[in-house]
Amino acid sequence: MNNNILNIENLHINFDTFDGEFSAVNDVSFSLGYDESIGIIGESGCGKSTLAFSIMRYLAKNASVRGIINYKGENLLDKTEREMEAYRGNRIAMVFQNPESSLNPSLTIGFQLDEVAIHHQKLSKAKAREATLEALEMMNIGDPKGTARRYPHQISGGIQQRICIAMAILCRPDLMILDEPTTALDVTTEAVILDSIKDLRNKLKMSLIYISHDMGVINKVAEHVVVMYNGEIVEKGPKHEIFDHPTHPYTRALINCMPRGGVVKENTKLNTIKGYVRRRGSSEKGCPFVERCDKRNDTCESLYGMRPISENHIAACDRAYATDVPDLIKKKTTPTLRTTPINNNNDLLQLENLHKVYGSRRKIYAVNGIDVEVKPRSVLGIVGESGCGKSTTGHMVAGLYKPTKGRIVFDGGDISIAWNRRSPETLKDIQLIFQNPGRSLNPSHTVEQIIARPMKLLVDMPDKEARKKHILQILTKVDLGKEYLEKKPRQLSGGEQQRVAIARALSISPRLIVCDEPTSALDVSVQASVLNLLNDLQLDTEAAYLFISHDLNVVNYISDYIMVMYAGKICEYGKRDEVMQPPFHPYTEALLSAMPEVDPKKQREVIELEGHLPDPSKKPKGCPFAGRCHKQVGEICEREYPPMVRHSETHYQFCHIKYPSE
Amino acid sequence: MKYFLYQLKKHPLAIFGIAIIIFWLLAALFGPSLMQFTHTQIDSDFQMARPGEEGHLLGTDSLGRDILSRIIYGSRSILTVALLTSILSTIVGIILGFMAGYFGGKIDAVFLRGMDILMAIPPLVLSMVVLGILGNSTILSLTLIVSIAFIPATARVSRGVLLTEKSQEYVSAARIRGEHHLYIMFVEILPNTTGPIIVEATARFAYSIMMVASLGFLGVGLQPPTPDWGMMVIENKPIITQAPWAVLFPALAIASLVIAISIFSDFVSKVLIHEQ
Repeated sequence: MNNNILNIENLHINFDTFDGEFSAVNDVSFSLGYDESIGIIGESGCGKSTLAFSIMRYLAKNASVRGIINYKGENLLDKTEREMEAYRGNRIAMVFQNPESSLNPSLTIGFQLDEVAIHHQKLSKAKAREATLEALEMMNIGDPKGTARRYPHQISGGIQQRICIAMAILCRPDLMILDEPTTALDVTTEAVILDSIKDLRNKLKMSLIYISHDMGVINKVAEHVVVMYNGEIVEKGPKHEIFDHPTHPYTRALINCMPRGGVVKENTKLNTIKGYVRRRGSSEKGCPFVERCDKRNDTCESLYGMRPISENHIAACDRAYATDVPDLIKKKTTPTLRTTPINNNNDLLQLENLHKVYGSRRKIYAVNGIDVEVKPRSVLGIVGESGCGKSTTGHMVAGLYKPTKGRIVFDGGDISIAWNRRSPETLKDIQLIFQNPGRSLNPSHTVEQIIARPMKLLVDMPDKEARKKHILQILTKVDLGKEYLEKKPRQLSGGEQQRVAIARALSISPRLIVCDEPTSALDVSVQASVLNLLNDLQLDTEAAYLFISHDLNVVNYISDYIMVMYAGKICEYGKRDEVMQPPFHPYTEALLSAMPEVDPKKQREVIELEGHLPDPSKKPKGCPFAGRCHKQVGEICEREYPPMVRHSETHYQFCHIKYPSE
Repeated sequence: MKYFLYQLKKHPLAIFGIAIIIFWLLAALFGPSLMQFTHTQIDSDFQMARPGEEGHLLGTDSLGRDILSRIIYGSRSILTVALLTSILSTIVGIILGFMAGYFGGKIDAVFLRGMDILMAIPPLVLSMVVLGILGNSTILSLTLIVSIAFIPATARVSRGVLLTEKSQEYVSAARIRGEHHLYIMFVEILPNTTGPIIVEATARFAYSIMMVASLGFLGVGLQPPTPDWGMMVIENKPIITQAPWAVLFPALAIASLVIAISIFSDFVSKVLIHEQ
C-alpha cells in the first residue's frame, strides 16, 4: 500500500441530470506504483475520462463523488479547492485530447509554459524560461527558443501536443495523466509522440495513467491495463496477461474487432459487439455488459463479481469461456464473398490530372494532379495523413467543389463541375457519406424525412406508400428497425447515425459512393460493424466505393485497390495486396510501421517521420515527401518530381529509388 | 415542456419574471373591463387624488383621470406594439440575414454596408425623426418604424447563426442532392437556428417596450387620448411635487415589464443555448 503513488478505492461518481441520476464511475478501485504506467481502455462513455478528471477534480458541478483517491497516502477528495492547487499541474499533471483547445491561441508558447513554472514553483521569469526551454528540448522539439516565441496556430497539431506534454512535465510531476493525447493526430505523429513518452518515463521516472480507446496504443505505453465498461472495471492486470489471456468478453471483443494484422474482407468478417453503450442509472446493479454480451448464460446474474484469474489479474467474468474451444479468440465468422468479378475493361470513374487550389490571394494547393480510375463494383481506398488532399478529392468527385484543373469523367461523361450544374441523374449516381454523422444529418429532421428526401428529389417515386415501404426495406438493410422512423439524430448513437447516413446514400441506388472517413468518428466496436455493413452492402448493391481513410488497416480491410496520397500527389497505387507488400514506397512503409500493433510480441520498429508536411501554400517542386523521407536518394529528390515506376500492370509508385528491373 | 419545468426549478428568478409577464398579459386582456373607471373618464372633483382615495387605487392625475385604469389600458397598446415589433423585425431580419449569409459575396457586402448605414443612426433618433415627420402616430406606424430600426440587429444575429450552420455537413449533403437554395435556407437550416433567434426576439421585445415608452415620453408616441406609459410620465411631470404617484406608477410599470422580459430572455437563452 505504501509503495503506491496512487490508490483509488471504491470510487463512485454520479451525475445528476435532467434524465435522472446516472452513474459514470461505479465502484472502481485500482492502484498505481511508483514509476509504473497503467493504461485505461474503453469506448466512449465508459467513464475513463471522468475517472481521470476526478483525480484532478475537474468534474462539473452536478457530479457527486464517493470513495477514496489516495495520492501518496493523502486522500485528494478531502482537500479543499485551495489545497488542490498545489497538486494540479505541479505534482499531478494532465494532458488533454485536443492540443489546440488546451493552448491559449493569443499567448506565445513560451509565455504559457513560463506561467506554469512561475505559478507553481515561484521561479523568476528568467529561471522559468530556462525550465521551459529544457522541457521543450526534452520533448525533442527542434529550435526550442524559436518555438517559444511562436503562437499555437503557427505550429502543427503534433508539435502542439508535444508542447502540451512539455508543459505537463515542466514542474516534474510524479504522476502524469494523458487523456487520449494522440487520438486527434495522424498515425505517424502518434508514433513519434508515443516514443517520446517512453523516453520521458525513462528520464523522469514518473508514473503514468494513459487513457485510450485503442488497444494498440495502450500496448505501446502501458505495463498494466484496466479495461472499463460503462463505469466499471471489467478486467485489470499486467499487460501481457490481458493481451495473452483476455478473460472478459468485452476485452476480447475490443482486441478482436479492429481490422489489424493484415485482416482483409475476403477472409474475415470483423467481430463486433452488438448494441450500444447504455447510460446506467445510479441504482442499477449487476453486470453492465450483459445486454451486449454474446456469451451470456444463466449464471451471469448470480455469479456476478470480480474474480481472480491469476495473481495480479482480475476480471468481472470468467464463466463465459469455460466451455469454449481454446482458439475461440481467433474464431471469425465467414465473410460474404464477391460473386461477380470486377470488370476490368471499363472504368466507372476516371480522374485526369485533377487539381484543386483553394483561395485566390493566399493559395492553398490541396490536390496537385491526380490520375486514377475506379472500376465498376470495386472499392478504391485512398489513404494518407490529414491535409494530403484525400477528402478534397472525394468532395470534388461528389460535386461539393469544382476542380481547378483537370477532368472528372464518370461513366463516359465529363462531370468536372460543381453540384449546381450537375444533372439529377449524376447527383443520384454519386453519393457521399460524411465523416461525422452527427453533423451530416439534419438534427431537426426525423430519420424518415432524412431518408425520404433524396428519393423525393432524385427518384421518380410519387406513391407515398411505396416510398415508405422502400424506406423500411433500406432501414432493414442497415440493421435498423421500424421504430427508428420517427427518431431524430440526437436520439441515436454514433453508430446508428452513421447507419442512417448510409441508408440515405443507398436509398436511391447510386453507382458510386464516396465514403469520407465514415468510421473514424466511431468507437472501434461500432467501426467494425459499420465496416461489415459497408462491405456487405457493396457486394449486395454492386456500387463502387471511393473509400477515404487515414487508417491503413481499415483501407486494407475493405479495398480492392489502394491509392496512397501525400501532399496532394499520388505516392503509390495498386491492387491492395500489391500495395501492402514490398516493394513499398517509403511513405507507405512509414505509414505501415506507425500502425500500433495489438500483439505485444509483434512490435515493429517505427520509422519516425520528422519534420512536417510541405507548406501547402507553395507550389510543390520535386518529390513532396523528400523532406521527411528516410530513404532519400539524393539531391534529385528535392529537385525533380519522381518518375512513375511500374512494378506491375496495376501497381506503380512515384519514387526516385531504382529497383532492379525484373 | 418537462425539460422547461426542470430548468425553471433551477432558476427561481425566471419564475418571478414570467409571473410579471403573465400579470401584464392578463391585465391587457381582461384588465380594462374590470376597472371601476374608464381611462378617459375625468373625475373633476378628485384631481390629483392620493392613491386609495375614493376608489382610485393608484390615485388620479391633474385632470382627475384614474392612474390605474390608464396604466392597465396603456398596457394594451404597448404590448401590442412591442409584440408586433419583435415578431416583424425578427421575420424580416431572418429573411435578410439568411439571404446575405447564404449567398455571401456581393450580396453580403451590400447587405452589410446597408445595415452599417442603418445602424449608424441611433434607433431612437431614427424613429423620432420619422414619426415626427409623419405626425399622428398610430399603432401601425409605430410598429413599422420601430421594426425598421431594429432590423439591423436581428438581421445580423440571423446572418451569424446561419454562417455557423452553413458549414455543417448536412448543408453540404443537401446541396449535392440538388436542393433548392430556399429549401436549404428555410427547411434545412432555419429549424436549427431557432435557439439564438428566439433569444434575440425576446430581447427585442424588451427593447421595443423601452423604445415605445421613450417615444411616448418624447411626445411622438401614440396620440391622446390613447394612454401611453411614456406619455403619462411626461404629462404628469409638471405635477411631480404635488402628485408623485402620477409619474411613479407609469414609470414602475415600464420598469417592471422591461426587467421581467429581460429576466425571461436570459432564462430562455440559458435553456435554449447554453445548456443543450
